Amino acid sequence: MVEDKENVESGEQVSKKGAKKLAKAAKKAELKAETATAIAANNAAGDNAVDTSAGRYGLSEMIQSKDKLTERNFVAVHELGSHVEKGLLWVRGRVHTSRSKGKQCFLILRQQSSTVQCILAVGDIISKQMVKFAGNIPKESIIDIQAKAVSVPIKIESCTEQTLELSVEQIFVISQAKAQLPLQIEDASRPENADDEGLNIRVNQDTRLDNRVLDLRTPANQAIFRLEAGVCRLFRDILTEQGFIEIHTPKIISAASEGGANVFTVSYFKDSAYLAQSPQLYKQMAIAADFDKVYTVGAVFRAEDSNTHRHLTEFVGLDLEMAFKYHYHEVLHTIGNTFTAIFKGLRDKYSREIESVGQQYKVDAFKFLEPPLILQFSEGVAMLREAGVETGDEEDLSTPNEKLLGRLVKAKYDTDFYILDKFPLAIRPFYTMPDPSNSTYSNSYDMFMRGEEILSGAQRIHDPEYLIERAKHHGIDTTKIAAYIESFRYGCPPHAGGGIGMERVVMLYLGLDNIRKTSMFPRDPKRLTP
Amino acid sequence: MYELKTLLPQFDIKLPTCMYNLKNVSLSADPTTSTSSVSCASFGLFQSASEFSSSINSRKSIPCALDLDFLGRQIQHLLKDDTVSVAIRQDKIIQQLQGLKTQLGKIRAGLGICGKTVQHTTAFQNGRLKEVPLQDIVINGHPNFIPYALLALKNVWRALYTVNVKTFTHSTMADIGPAAREFEAEMDKIPVNNALPNINVTLIWKNCEHTEMISSPTMYLPIYGEVNVIRYLGRVGPAEYRYEGSPLCNEIDLVLDICYQLLRCSTHKAQVAMVRLLDQRLKQQYFGGSQMSVADIGVHSSLIRIPTITDKDLTPALLAWRKRAKLVTQI
Repeated sequence: MVEDKENVESGEQVSKKGAKKLAKAAKKAELKAETATAIAANNAAGDNAVDTSAGRYGLSEMIQSKDKLTERNFVAVHELGSHVEKGLLWVRGRVHTSRSKGKQCFLILRQQSSTVQCILAVGDIISKQMVKFAGNIPKESIIDIQAKAVSVPIKIESCTEQTLELSVEQIFVISQAKAQLPLQIEDASRPENADDEGLNIRVNQDTRLDNRVLDLRTPANQAIFRLEAGVCRLFRDILTEQGFIEIHTPKIISAASEGGANVFTVSYFKDSAYLAQSPQLYKQMAIAADFDKVYTVGAVFRAEDSNTHRHLTEFVGLDLEMAFKYHYHEVLHTIGNTFTAIFKGLRDKYSREIESVGQQYKVDAFKFLEPPLILQFSEGVAMLREAGVETGDEEDLSTPNEKLLGRLVKAKYDTDFYILDKFPLAIRPFYTMPDPSNSTYSNSYDMFMRGEEILSGAQRIHDPEYLIERAKHHGIDTTKIAAYIESFRYGCPPHAGGGIGMERVVMLYLGLDNIRKTSMFPRDPKRLTP
Repeated sequence: MYELKTLLPQFDIKLPTCMYNLKNVSLSADPTTSTSSVSCASFGLFQSASEFSSSINSRKSIPCALDLDFLGRQIQHLLKDDTVSVAIRQDKIIQQLQGLKTQLGKIRAGLGICGKTVQHTTAFQNGRLKEVPLQDIVINGHPNFIPYALLALKNVWRALYTVNVKTFTHSTMADIGPAAREFEAEMDKIPVNNALPNINVTLIWKNCEHTEMISSPTMYLPIYGEVNVIRYLGRVGPAEYRYEGSPLCNEIDLVLDICYQLLRCSTHKAQVAMVRLLDQRLKQQYFGGSQMSVADIGVHSSLIRIPTITDKDLTPALLAWRKRAKLVTQI
């Protein structure tokens, strides 16, 4: 229609203005065609031109340990600061981002949590083809580069190494990533504050967990699992220093250790067995076997179908058990001080990791008191009542009450960690030693971080006759726990202990909202892979 | 809560003789017995009233009810009533009450109400209003501003009242320094006497600006400043040191206010000026009298906290006072 109209118009009469317009358009088209052919020619010439930097870039052949190449001096990204203006060096890392524009290519190289900007510009050593190649390396590929560290006048805000950049001379791809990634590292590491302007793309929890290998590459995740390793290391170091011995307990057991419900059954040759839900029995047996102070770090299984933010079906248990002389507070103080020492160790030695996590997840620093605050259960109940909560003297703390009490304690004492001592006997397992002065209470304790229970422990009954009496009182079939009772028949020192879940402690220390964030490959009722 | 100051001195109020005293019902400790005694009394009244009316009714046949003769006879009859019949009547009343009590007990059991008596937060003891569940208090202090008053009070009240202090270090403090450690050690030296009335104090070394006191986060606001903590402890402490009822109350408050200002002074000159003010208030052996009071504790601990004030800055009177105070506070 439009064309027809134009034809009609042009056929009828061509005004002066119209003619001018047409001429202009024709000229423009001509110019366009000219430049296009020029670019094409140029490109052809470029591609065919002698590549001045051939051999300085490319896909490296699969490393099969053919050459040692020991002359290559590799430097870690976070140590680059001391190599500025000191000649060529090698760096291996991942391509975080890369963009080429004309004769330049900016590439951000990532090594764990550290990033550095690399630059390739067409020049004597670097050819156009090399720049183009560098610009096309897929994100997350592993590359080796040879480069010079050069200081920059303006801080590079997007990298952790802000004062320098790498001027690349050679670049080889060691392992290429797929061009399409299921999630972008940038999206996965975006800070979680809602008021942020600009892109607000999030990666949801399931996508993260499905592609855990990629997800774990974010700076926050790198920091979380380093800190988690720190928790285990500190736990081991602190206890070893106090004369504890690490033991390893079996995970396949014949009978349920606690209660009997919520254990996983596995086939065991012609019979069936269970997965251990607590190493408690074995810890106690080690005490009866004169090991005096023991701890164990290992997997614990709970077949509880609870899909909450703080339950896993498999987690790492850090358990300890200790014989004492006369009063279980000897143990209580040991455990409490171990926690304080762990918190102090994390505060002092892992501040970089904590900061790194804080950049993605905004949370308040963990606060604690030294020595740890110990409150009586009855005091806790009194605090709750004062706040207007109806709760019985012998009633267990419900989850909301537990959280409220955590907030009240925080408001009064400004601590995220506290111990509640002397729980009512009625709500504790049968092997808990009753309080000698008040039979409604027991020699048991819970420890809390940010208002959530992390440890539950008690003085255990070490007298077999009394144990049978207590078991009967709880209506437990004593024939089923005969082996447990039997282990106290040959003399056993008074002892107490407790256990914590590593993932939960890390989650609460960092103030994260989901335990799946602190388990590398979490197992819950709905997830068995990866 | 604050007790209000008494505006008038305590006069001996002369009551007119035409009035009779009512028994203070709430003074009796056990609420159940008090209610029963009250109901007993009312029941008795009711009983006698009904009897009286019934006796009137029985005499309705007599034409003039207000016959003086009849009234006289009636009074004589009542007066003649021997003690035996009164005792019988009382026994009858007690029996009826017992029946009522068991009946009520049955109703209560049927409703399933727990048997606990109502808990009162306040109760009268020795005629004085006293908080029964005294809150454990938390004091946050910076190691650079050590609340010496706590130690002083602990020493001074040794024989009267136990200030049970537990010290903690908050995670915001990496190191508390030697002075605070020494202070802790001094605290621990004083034996805890559980037989005395006591208050539990949690002292937390924390990176905070002011010395602050928290008793209950849900019910009360924090109290700021060491001097105000002294005031609080002065209220809950032993009766000998409660100063609100004393005529020297205003004087003590004034001295404590000067201490508060003294601790805020930033220049030495201002501090010396405050010390001069203190000197003016020291008229007797101690601040505001011949007895040691919380004011002396306030001044003494404040002076320790300001090391720039040396003996040179103090007047002879203050120096002499300081010696006396030191004997009691032992700092």
